[in-house]
Amino acid sequence: MPINTGYFIKEAATSFKRNWVMSIGGIVTIFLSLLLIGVSLLIGSAANSLITGTESKVTIEVYIKDDANQTDVEGLQRKLQTNSLVKQVNYISKDQAMQIFKEQMKKSPDVINNLEGNPLPASLKIELHDAHDVNKVVDSIKAAPEFKKVCDRPDSPDSSLHYGQDIVQRLFNFTRVIRVVGVVFIVMLAVVSLIFINNTIRMAIYARRNELSIMRLVGASNWFIRMPFIFEGMIQSIIGALLAIGVIMLIQFVALPKIQNTIKFMSFGISNSFIWLISLILIAGGIVIGGLGSWLAMRRYLKI
Amino acid sequence: MPDLQATLENIVPSGSMSASRRPTGPPMIVMQKVTKRYVPERAALEGVNIEIDAGEFVFIVGHSGSGKSTFIRSLLHEVIPTSGRIIVAGHDLSKIRTAKIPYLRRNIGCVFQDFKLLPNKTAFENVAFALQVIGKSKHVIDTQVPEVLRLVGLEGKINNYPHELSGGEQQRVSVARAFVNRPPLLLCDEPTGNLDPQTSFGIMKLLERINHTGTTVLIATHDQEMVNRMRRRVIALDEGHIIRDQNRGVYGHAN
Repeated sequence: MPINTGYFIKEAATSFKRNWVMSIGGIVTIFLSLLLIGVSLLIGSAANSLITGTESKVTIEVYIKDDANQTDVEGLQRKLQTNSLVKQVNYISKDQAMQIFKEQMKKSPDVINNLEGNPLPASLKIELHDAHDVNKVVDSIKAAPEFKKVCDRPDSPDSSLHYGQDIVQRLFNFTRVIRVVGVVFIVMLAVVSLIFINNTIRMAIYARRNELSIMRLVGASNWFIRMPFIFEGMIQSIIGALLAIGVIMLIQFVALPKIQNTIKFMSFGISNSFIWLISLILIAGGIVIGGLGSWLAMRRYLKI
Repeated sequence: MPDLQATLENIVPSGSMSASRRPTGPPMIVMQKVTKRYVPERAALEGVNIEIDAGEFVFIVGHSGSGKSTFIRSLLHEVIPTSGRIIVAGHDLSKIRTAKIPYLRRNIGCVFQDFKLLPNKTAFENVAFALQVIGKSKHVIDTQVPEVLRLVGLEGKINNYPHELSGGEQQRVSVARAFVNRPPLLLCDEPTGNLDPQTSFGIMKLLERINHTGTTVLIATHDQEMVNRMRRRVIALDEGHIIRDQNRGVYGHAN
């Protein structure tokens, strides 16, 4: 059978015109559910890049008092270097710390000029292989006798230790919540859009019942009869998917750069290839929803 | 094998076949013990045995509820018999696969009392639609549709919409649509039910002309005058039973 694509598209377009309220309802629900899928993927990816960014920055800093015994400091450093969880330990002297501070505060020279002497402590900077091991390493530092001797504030040794564990934990929790809420909403919206498409196709079948009865009588093949409805469901969902992709693109190329400009200290850049992947997922998701909705409607309402 | 042919002719008494029946090739329609019950307690058709040869012109007569429509619709596989076997144009309907039903129907033209024309399409488009949806090319459509509309006598009205045509003309469009694909079998369910006697006769003449092309024509009707005038094979149904099967018959009275 020669497939007359033009005929199917024309039929689908006519049906859309006849039934545009339902069709737009279908498009909007598909658009929303796909947008939600896209946005939650975006947030997930942004959060991931935030976490990895933070993770690589999770270093433990041990502040050392100015009059610490140099051998004790070296002893602590050597001890930590033998720890298998530790990647490397750097000693940062008071002068180096000042240097770094000046570098960071280049834009506000007043702050530097107002400093009297060098208030910054020397420190040991400990980098880890895996951010999850932070607590273990911290405990081993606390247990070391050298630590108590050299730490900046012997009265409360803990405040001489600095590490970013809370941030990481909070980000982990945040992404978990986003994921659960996202999945619930996506499933709900997918069901709603299925119902909408199902209804649109039902109306389309009803509107064309005379044509359909004649098509059956003269022996139009089952696929020929079904094709316009499948087209209709597909077109709706592809339009919905394109709208969702448009919004995702706006977020990626317009909104995110602006946000990134205002919040410089966090990097949540999302690679363009990931955006293309999201677009692909949304198109595929739209086709699945549209195809399934039409198919369900035809099974129920289109007797062949 | 001429011997076998001769033997067959000896066994089958030639008197059982009328002059109008041409016993060449397999029969167009065979029904064997066909029973259809919509509800268990009452049969719409019961134990119907019939054979209709290719090229015949047959009336099915009977009151409303006698089983005429069930008879016609079972040939289209729209109604599936409760038991029994139906063979139409070489398709055994008890074994036919769903995907093959459209191809069965391409061999059967259908004409109805209410014409079933699409109101938003012209006569040409209505007939063309039947070819379009079975995937015929534009070239085939553009040559066959005007030809069949000429055959039914509507050459001057091919671009008129159904509401611009009389009842008889609308029925001619519907006959054209049923016949445009040159099916070997034409089923007509009360084709003249909505028409006056004069117009009805015109439609009957048209169906007769189609029959002369070799097409088997089967007409369910309760138009007594028409049946009596045409003098063709008449199969009378009453409460799902065949009560009479006559060549060159009349409508008669079941009671």
